[in-house]
Amino acid sequence: MKILRCPLNGPRNVSEFAYGGEVVAMPDPAAASDAEWADHVFLEDNRRGVVREWWLHVATDYWFIAERDTATDEIVRTCPASEVFAERVSFAAPDDEGGRA
Amino acid sequence: MDGDGIDPAALPRRGPVYRELASAGARFVELRGGAVAESFAADAGTETRAARRLALADLSLLPCLGFRGREAVDWLRRQGVDVGDRNNRAYRQPDGALAARMAPGEALLFGDVADESDLCERLADAASIDEEVEAFPVPWGDGYFRFLVSGKRAADMFAKVCGVDLRTDRFPPLDIARTSMARTSVAVVRDDLGDTPAYHVLGDVASASYLLACLRDAMEEFDGALAGLGAVRRLAGA
Amino acid sequence: MTGVNRLPAPAGSLIDRSRTRTFRFEGRPVDGFAGDTIASALAANDVWVLSRSFKYRRPRGALTMAGQDANALVQLPGRPNVPADVEPVADGLDVRGQNYDGSLMRDRGAWIGRLRRFLPVGFYYKAFYKPRGAWRLWAPLIRRRAGLGRVDAAAPRGRFDKAYLFCDVLAVGGGPAGMSAALAAAEAGAEVILVDENPVLGGALNYARFDAAGAAAARERRRLVDAVAARDGIEAMTDTIANGWFADNFVALIRGNRMFKVRAKEVVLATGAMEQPLVFRNNDLPRVMMGSAAQRLIRLYGVRPGTRAVVATANDDGYGVALDLADAGVRVAAVADLRPEPGGGGMAAAAEARGIRIETGHTVSSAIPGAGGRSVRGAVLSRIEGRGVCRGGETVDCDLVCMSVGYAPAAQLACHDGGRLAMDEGTATFVPRDLPAHGRAAGSVNGTHALDAVLAEGARAGWRAAAALGLDAGAGPAVPEAGGADDRNHDWPLFPHDDGKDFVDFDEDLQVRDILNACADGFDDIELAKRYTTVGMGPSQGRHSALNALRLVHRATGRPLADAAPTTVRPPYAAETFGVLAGRHFEPVRHTPMHHRHLEAGARMMVAGDWLRPSFYGAPHDRERRVLEEVRAVRGGVGMLDVSTLGGIEVRGPDAAEFLDRMYTFTYARQPVGRGRYLMMCDETGVIVDDGVTCRFHERHFYVTTTSSGASSVYREMLWWNAQWRLAVDISDVTGAYAAISLAGPWARKVLDPLTDGIELSLAAFPYMAVRTGRVAGIPARLLRIGFVGELGFELHVPASQGEALWDALMSAGEPCGIRPFGLEAQRVLRLEKGHIIIGQDTDDLTYPAEADMTWAISRKKPFFVGGRANRVHESRPLRRKLVGFAIRDPEAPVPEECHLTLRGNDIAGRVTSVARSEALGCVVGLAYVAPEQAVTGATFPIKVGPRRFLEAEVAPLPFYDPDNRRQEM
Repeated sequence: MKILRCPLNGPRNVSEFAYGGEVVAMPDPAAASDAEWADHVFLEDNRRGVVREWWLHVATDYWFIAERDTATDEIVRTCPASEVFAERVSFAAPDDEGGRA
Repeated sequence: MDGDGIDPAALPRRGPVYRELASAGARFVELRGGAVAESFAADAGTETRAARRLALADLSLLPCLGFRGREAVDWLRRQGVDVGDRNNRAYRQPDGALAARMAPGEALLFGDVADESDLCERLADAASIDEEVEAFPVPWGDGYFRFLVSGKRAADMFAKVCGVDLRTDRFPPLDIARTSMARTSVAVVRDDLGDTPAYHVLGDVASASYLLACLRDAMEEFDGALAGLGAVRRLAGA
Repeated sequence: MTGVNRLPAPAGSLIDRSRTRTFRFEGRPVDGFAGDTIASALAANDVWVLSRSFKYRRPRGALTMAGQDANALVQLPGRPNVPADVEPVADGLDVRGQNYDGSLMRDRGAWIGRLRRFLPVGFYYKAFYKPRGAWRLWAPLIRRRAGLGRVDAAAPRGRFDKAYLFCDVLAVGGGPAGMSAALAAAEAGAEVILVDENPVLGGALNYARFDAAGAAAARERRRLVDAVAARDGIEAMTDTIANGWFADNFVALIRGNRMFKVRAKEVVLATGAMEQPLVFRNNDLPRVMMGSAAQRLIRLYGVRPGTRAVVATANDDGYGVALDLADAGVRVAAVADLRPEPGGGGMAAAAEARGIRIETGHTVSSAIPGAGGRSVRGAVLSRIEGRGVCRGGETVDCDLVCMSVGYAPAAQLACHDGGRLAMDEGTATFVPRDLPAHGRAAGSVNGTHALDAVLAEGARAGWRAAAALGLDAGAGPAVPEAGGADDRNHDWPLFPHDDGKDFVDFDEDLQVRDILNACADGFDDIELAKRYTTVGMGPSQGRHSALNALRLVHRATGRPLADAAPTTVRPPYAAETFGVLAGRHFEPVRHTPMHHRHLEAGARMMVAGDWLRPSFYGAPHDRERRVLEEVRAVRGGVGMLDVSTLGGIEVRGPDAAEFLDRMYTFTYARQPVGRGRYLMMCDETGVIVDDGVTCRFHERHFYVTTTSSGASSVYREMLWWNAQWRLAVDISDVTGAYAAISLAGPWARKVLDPLTDGIELSLAAFPYMAVRTGRVAGIPARLLRIGFVGELGFELHVPASQGEALWDALMSAGEPCGIRPFGLEAQRVLRLEKGHIIIGQDTDDLTYPAEADMTWAISRKKPFFVGGRANRVHESRPLRRKLVGFAIRDPEAPVPEECHLTLRGNDIAGRVTSVARSEALGCVVGLAYVAPEQAVTGATFPIKVGPRRFLEAEVAPLPFYDPDNRRQEM
């Protein structure tokens, strides 16, 4: 069984974790076309190489981010989500221009 | 129920496994509006020896209170609580209570086995949503069961239900492991009773009966027993 | 002394001659000693046939005495395919052979062996596949004949267990390499687990001969075993099989009925080597065995393996076998050495000095069968004239043929996590390569056989493991990096015979020509030939066939052996039982604080997600009446339902309202304190995933409920979003911390009123959808004036520890009103009458709000909420189905079931999602998806209730019951 290093709880069996999908940037909901939104919601890139993924340590409900090589299954690095998402996200009102600030 | 004990169902607060304890022969005493198993064996010596070998005591009705929020740790410090500087580590307070630092925005306080600390009540009273501070109490006293597993064989028993190495030389006193035990989520806090290794196991109160059954089954191999608060206190004082 | 073949002590290191064990074989009593295996005890009593072969039913006996071959598989009560050569004897054990009709000695099915010529590989496929469908008729007949042991479905259940183990260094294999590795690592301070599948440590030191005098093995063994025992930090586990080596050094060990899941920082693989057979005619007869098998019989069990032996060898180990046989009183008729010259080792010279006849450049080309093929009565020695070619022959009388022509590494584990076996052509052997990052091999698994080199290589591996751990391991043993790979394998130990019976794979009864035919049929790669011939697919998994089959395929296809790679090796290493895999039964289940009150009230409990919940109260046969009574109690009096399973999430902080606005479809920023509000959650595709109620207790504090099954996923979804949004809000799942009771019915207020202290319950003071905090029966409570069942109702949320006390208080207070607890079945009827949907029952993974007529719960003014953008896409497209209420007023009509299809013309329009016979409404009501055009009040649509059976349902407005909501807002 693989070991995954949780930034909060340290190295643990991968069975303690749940996979949460790739880390992807959400398009601006006000500006994205229907097709762009469908792409965002339904399609994954499924790239070969190092990708950023969401993982959840189930016992603590702790979400973090892992960089994993999809070809070798090697976990290159894990980090708290706050390293990637450091700022408060706001949404503009529907009629405003610009979307996410 | 024994003649000299009390009936847990006569009190408003009821532990999550009081029926299991009663059918195992527990003698209950009142504690904070609930009934706590004080003893199981006919004589104290037998029960103390069991607790040194391998035993489980239900401390679910002892005080326990959580705090969460971005400012929870700072707020607790301002209340005079030593919350240390490491996650997954518990810190002993001068009155015997433990402050367990679970995550950057989460701490768990629980009372000592002698039940002399009033830390949880004091903090529950101090916390107020009207204060504009991001530190919020969470009623883990109700949300979590709390078993104390003690004895030299405790780590061997845990190895049958838990994938984290809890052996005494690898898991030092006051360390915390939040992990999966028999497929339920728990927090394990090492808190020795004198020179007897001991571990608090805290988890979802709704899973208490399930996990108790699993642990008792796993303990059988090592001649494990149920212990009352009396034996726990004797070992803690030893 | 038990058995005519028993040797005097000190032979027989594993047996305890003071303790006799009597078991039965084929119905007849057999005596052995404690420590004997079934096969050794039988051999001691001159019983050599253990089973019959898989296909031709040829009598077979032990080949390896190491649990490595299928020849020795026997049937025990409730346990098929038990390796008799390692299974300990026990008093009363009832052992039978396998694969025969009638008796093991005289198999009525053995005639099939005479058809051998007509049963080439691929025969089944060629002969039984035409005409089309014929295989279905033939397969059961063939499979009944060709099979292993019998599974006894009535076998008693065992008790199986699992445990984790942790160590710095795991040394797999307790032979000289493993022990010296363990010692070196432990000396450096590492915590070591040393495992061996045998009952004692020592490996080959227990049975093999390493010098002419025959003293070195015992001496080294004693030294190492004593050192291991004396060394702190080594836990030696014998009788323990390492069965799989998985990612990050997670190794599965099996000992008896327990699996240990070891997490090792470093692994030393010292699993040794498996001796390989010589291929010649009748090489499968009982008492044609590996040289090491004869040595095991002698040294471990004190059993003389024959009276007159021929040894075929290609290395000095064969001379060691000859010497051991001679020492045990076996007359060694000849040693056929396949090499042109014997090696320079002292053992050949010693054999010669003992007067043993040695024929170099010779092989055994054929074994002469005794009566019924159940024994050997002679061996033909032939001169080798070329690769695989031999000529002429002299028949030598013997009752034992030993084979010592080479080894294959027992490197299966090395291949489980990315390692592979490569062919080293110089030494004609496989060697493990590309081991996992924190693993290394030592000893004969690595191709190193000479004892000094093995010990040095083991020590070095242990030292390197310790060094990799960062321990101060000192300078390390001064030995060459690569062990002295030596030349013990003959490069072509195959001598095909014109008349066949030259077995390459004993498990599958495959002969040389079967492999060659596969190549000729175009299956000219080992991976293809394996699938065509099934070589290596039997119980021993190619332990003795992989190397020779590979040699044959590569030669037949003209490819160099250097390129050869054996077929993929996968876990497990040895056969394992399902019981071991299953271990103990961990099936978490959650109980509410009132669980035992339900049981005491006679509730039938049902599994709802992780929870056990009351379905109804009463006996199963009384179900319909009880559910109806519970429904009546709520409609006409008062009932109570345990809703502790509803998720409870505290959302607190300055951004609490903003956060809910983003997570849920409605608006919450302006929700007044003291009020509740409906919640609907969509996922990013716009599909409804959960619903509930939020109670605002403070500007900065919302208490959110979720569905019972949705609690943990909603909570995680919230945490996931806020890990990205970084709003100033804390989200805490307090589901377990609160017990909750839904008190419902026209008399609910009457029951509650005397229990509440200072909470005004009147409609004016505590209107519908209001929320309060206070005390109920002295218990701190959150009171929610909401209802799912369409009557006056209060939901009371109290600390879990006091849930049972609240339940008791309500039951007593409600007694004069005839209060009844009700279960989920009654609740489902009640809420259906009221037209409330249940997420997950009346919706599916594609249902978006417009389909369920839930667009009223969507705010159009918010900049963002999860699923909002997708719903804009959905709403811009034509609706494809719609959830409607329906009624069936014909009392004689059948009641449709959930998931019965609804039709529009000949097309499927949707399905029934909920249905119940309603006493309050006097008809059957339900919810169903229909085509949008059908969703017109009063219109009818067909429901298919069975094959060619339809009924008409009428679209009815929701709610069916109390459409003006007078009852719930009274």
